[in-house]
Amino acid sequence: MQYGMIIDLERCVGCHACTIACKAEWEVPIEFNRNWVYRMGPSLVDQEMASTYYPGLCNHCQEPVCVEECPADTVEMTFTHAKTGETTSMEVAATWKDPFDGTVQIDKSRCIGCGACVDACPYNARYVNPDQIDDVSDDGKADKCTYCKPRVDAGQLPACVQTCITGARIFGDLDDPQSEVSKYVKKGAVGIDVIGGDLGPNSRYYGKKKDMALLMSTQTPELADLGLIRRRAMLASLVKPAMKKARGLGLLGLVGALAVKGLADDNSHE
Amino acid sequence: MAFKLTRRNFLQSASLAAVALPLSDVIASETGIEASPFEPKGTVKDETVVGGVCEMCFWRCQLVGKKRGDRLVKLEGNPKSIDNGSSICARGNAGVQLLYDPDRLKYPLKNVGERGKPKWKRISWEEALDECGSKLKGIEEKYGPQGICMFPHGSSAKYPMHFFERTVGTHNVSEASFFQCRGIRDTAYVATIGMAPGEFVDMPNAKVIFLLGSHIGENIHVSHVKRYIKGLQNGAKLIVVDPRYSAAAAKSDIWVKIKPGTDTAFLLAIMNYMIANDKYNADFVEEYGDGFDEFKAGITDWTLEKAAKECEIPAEQIKEVAELLAASAPSVSIHPGRHVSWYGNDFQRQRALACLTGVLGAFFVKGGWVPAKNPKVGKMSWAKKDHGDEHNLNIDEEEELRFPFSPPGTPTELIRDTALSGKPYPIKGCVIWGQNPIQTIPGQEKMKDVLRQMDFVMCVDVMPTDITMWADILLPESSYLERYDLIKTGTQWDFADSQQQFIAPRIPLVEPMFERKDQVYITNEIAKRMGYAKDIPVNSNLEMVEKNLAEVGLSLDQIIKEGGIHVQKGENPYSMPEDFEVVFYNEDIEDAGFPGIPTYQPVEQPPKGFARLLYGRVPVHTFNRTQNNVWLNKAMPDNPVWINDEIAKTLGLQDGDVVGFINQDGIKSRTTTTIKTTPGIRKDSVYMAHGYGSANPLMSIGVNAGVDDTSLMSKITIDPETGAHGMRNNFIQLIKDDKILAIPASV
Amino acid sequence: MHKQSPAEHVATLYRFCAQSMQYPDITWFNDQYLDKLYLLVNTLGGDDQAKKLQDSFAGSRDKLEDIQVEHTRLFINGAPHVAAPPYGSVYIDKSLRGQYSDKVLHYYNTSGYRLKTGADLPDSLIHQLEFLSFLAKEKNRPKEEEFLSLFFLPWFPVFATRVKEEAQHPFYHTIISLIDFFTKEEEEYGV
Repeated sequence: MQYGMIIDLERCVGCHACTIACKAEWEVPIEFNRNWVYRMGPSLVDQEMASTYYPGLCNHCQEPVCVEECPADTVEMTFTHAKTGETTSMEVAATWKDPFDGTVQIDKSRCIGCGACVDACPYNARYVNPDQIDDVSDDGKADKCTYCKPRVDAGQLPACVQTCITGARIFGDLDDPQSEVSKYVKKGAVGIDVIGGDLGPNSRYYGKKKDMALLMSTQTPELADLGLIRRRAMLASLVKPAMKKARGLGLLGLVGALAVKGLADDNSHE
Repeated sequence: MAFKLTRRNFLQSASLAAVALPLSDVIASETGIEASPFEPKGTVKDETVVGGVCEMCFWRCQLVGKKRGDRLVKLEGNPKSIDNGSSICARGNAGVQLLYDPDRLKYPLKNVGERGKPKWKRISWEEALDECGSKLKGIEEKYGPQGICMFPHGSSAKYPMHFFERTVGTHNVSEASFFQCRGIRDTAYVATIGMAPGEFVDMPNAKVIFLLGSHIGENIHVSHVKRYIKGLQNGAKLIVVDPRYSAAAAKSDIWVKIKPGTDTAFLLAIMNYMIANDKYNADFVEEYGDGFDEFKAGITDWTLEKAAKECEIPAEQIKEVAELLAASAPSVSIHPGRHVSWYGNDFQRQRALACLTGVLGAFFVKGGWVPAKNPKVGKMSWAKKDHGDEHNLNIDEEEELRFPFSPPGTPTELIRDTALSGKPYPIKGCVIWGQNPIQTIPGQEKMKDVLRQMDFVMCVDVMPTDITMWADILLPESSYLERYDLIKTGTQWDFADSQQQFIAPRIPLVEPMFERKDQVYITNEIAKRMGYAKDIPVNSNLEMVEKNLAEVGLSLDQIIKEGGIHVQKGENPYSMPEDFEVVFYNEDIEDAGFPGIPTYQPVEQPPKGFARLLYGRVPVHTFNRTQNNVWLNKAMPDNPVWINDEIAKTLGLQDGDVVGFINQDGIKSRTTTTIKTTPGIRKDSVYMAHGYGSANPLMSIGVNAGVDDTSLMSKITIDPETGAHGMRNNFIQLIKDDKILAIPASV
Repeated sequence: MHKQSPAEHVATLYRFCAQSMQYPDITWFNDQYLDKLYLLVNTLGGDDQAKKLQDSFAGSRDKLEDIQVEHTRLFINGAPHVAAPPYGSVYIDKSLRGQYSDKVLHYYNTSGYRLKTGADLPDSLIHQLEFLSFLAKEKNRPKEEEFLSLFFLPWFPVFATRVKEEAQHPFYHTIISLIDFFTKEEEEYGV
């Protein structure tokens, strides 16, 4: 099984319902987005006027570069097929590609917030969420679109798909030839692959020729300089565990201060 | 401030006790928290509540709320809806941010400073209502009911509007939805087919969709967009007439890059061509047409070539449009538009659109203009009383209508001119309810003068919009998520599906926070203080809804059980009413002194060095109401000005350059925005989205984000038949680095 | 006279701060209250501040209205803008009633407290100070520290800065300084 999403640009009207629904569903901080809509044009494409949208999100790639870069210690993790209950185990760092549904996920409890995966993603689909702080990372945690895995596992549609007012977002199993998404692939829906890489993006676009040309010519990214990212990530993985710092060193509040002064004991005071 | 003492020293017993003991005497208030005997609840589970009806715009999609405890976390479309389904738009999704906007009005406020430069003081409801009641009563006694004017907007404003109109008895009510938006469309269609047209086009089942200026996509109403996209998916051809390559033009088969203001010429040429070449729907015209011969004779001047010259488009393209329409008739959706207050020649254009629909025979047929057959519910409100027409400003000394095709209410300009001149009578009280006349009505300075001369101004709103700075008393209203209110009715969105109707009353999803109150409470309390207690029709919003439902044998309990929406069997929408006719030549219009045949009136052209200011919408904003919504603001933080790329090049402008504006009257924009260069706009026009650049510093997100297009509309054009405003006859130059850039006439 | 313990005194200080953040009303904002405020400020060595306050009140036509206008502008819907809504969620979640407010409420509940009907939002400054006063009375030092570090201090300094920047009258400047004084991390005890 490989979950994927089709965005049909013939239907998309660029209304942003998907981006705002996502914000609400996952209480995404104001400054960040798990998905986005950019408007391109009007401009001339082969002498023809064109204008369309780039509704972007995590591509849950076949070969996700972000997963490779995670420097967190690996652990053995058991995965369960949401429908059949079948299980399998594998060694993963704090982010991985799910062996059953093909989505790319993050373990927030083990993420050290170093941002290597964020830098590695050529689509800018990841960010470090500063609201998610714990003893492992006080910088926050890597965050991104999960294809609404908790909703999908519960039998619902991703929030962006549910709210899409024109049915321009279609979600399903790309490995199932009968699925809506597979039919779109047969009709010519394609992902935005990077220059210098073959990541196999599973969020795919379908639209008029001129609109697809505009999309690809303006939104095709380059692969990031992975060497640089790796060096930084390695450093981070060495430093981070030491950063589990004790909190509340300073004494807080009045009762605390009283206690230190030995005044909290009622009898000591007249 | 730094205290000299350290906390350590202070906490030494002597100081501490010496200070703390006396302090305990002056603590008057009770605490808001108390020891709880209960065990903690643990993780609160999200609960789904039904019955929401959206009002982020007027389309009113049906909602459910996801709640964690008493906190609303998310809004979704109600899966029971046969209208919007489980979809809602960006604004609908962002309703949570309106609900919890820290800038929202919270308590009644009294202005102890001056109008326009307020100093607010929180006061009790009792004091606020006493003030409103006594001031308005004083004005009524001194100047008569006509001394009070009202600017209402939105579903909560209907009840107070009826109070002031029907019970107190003032004619001086101006609804922005009529006089700055769709009123012209409605009266023009009434003068042609006897009905207001809504946006009732059966787009899913059309062969051609024809949009004149409508930019669906930038302008979003869920079920309307669903109809549009379904039509395109079903293979309809799309014709978009717009000086700009709009979101709709981007999906079009034919984009007519028309010269602004010339649309009527274009429409007349299409009709003339079809009639002259016998490509019109003669059977339909024969059966339902009235005055067709006069009409036919009256438009023969409008050859393709003449229109091509006037509209600055190829004659061949007009012919192509005419041929496509004729070949697809009658399954063509001639969209009536919605905001049509454009150039002051709009009544005639809207008449021409209605006539075009008639020439094609596209009324009450698949794919044509087809109004839904909505279910009925009660309409409980203040009883109508006859107050005579003596003080109706729209009736002149000879008892003739000044604006014979005015929409209901009184044209805004008549109210403003009377208030300023005091003739024929003073207008000294102003009630503003949900409308923002400062950012809605052209002529901002005039509006301010009108407000300055009032004895009393009160505003009721959810947000501190620009107009609220002018209030003496400002009252916080509960939002659409916190009150019982109107009942949304409609049908399934695609007429090709089996016919169904729905009834969805607005049911609160959360309790109002702070001291916000709903319209029935506020209006009734003012009414009591003005001596109208005996006229009060209902005692609460809840009672109003229950009574309106009871008239059709329903109740709130039942509807909640049904998931917030009652669905019942519908009626065939395609059946034509018995007496339906299309009045091509309208004698009444002629008798009133206007052209009885749709007639093109050329509009004023930009002075040398200026471009016409066009405006429109973005899908994340509703007018200027949503400016302060933090999610929506982040989605589209400002309103870049579109300028033709060749013009930009000669002016040395590039994408992202920061510019301000100056208009033909020397009025400058307070703020700036960025340049967007594109081949997708004519050289004589610039375009920006409306709903930006609030001047109210209380709007901490929206204030000064982008440019307020309305602030540049100092020239007021009046549509002569209706008295409504034309808003696209203002012209601008750009200001960059303090230098004014003249727009070249040609490149 | 009932003898009070230091813990009760501390509770009183928190309550006094909470009281001072209520919307000013004739029932408490009176000369007696102001005398006590001056006493407290003077005791802490803030003589200049007390003087400034007294001076500004001395020149006032209507002390109460001055403070009501200031309160409205700073905390409700004042001009030039709603400077500093006194709710933690506004600073943490950039919205009223965000996740933060639920977490605070949950914390009250798990500590054995609940909001009364008609109370303000759970994350209001007033309720947080009231809660601290209850903890003080309980002499629950670990809870007090935990609440301050997890909930109070992440937003209060941002709020305090905004109030100090936007205040046009010395009253709220003084009150915020008092709250700051009683709640801040005490570096002198650090390490």
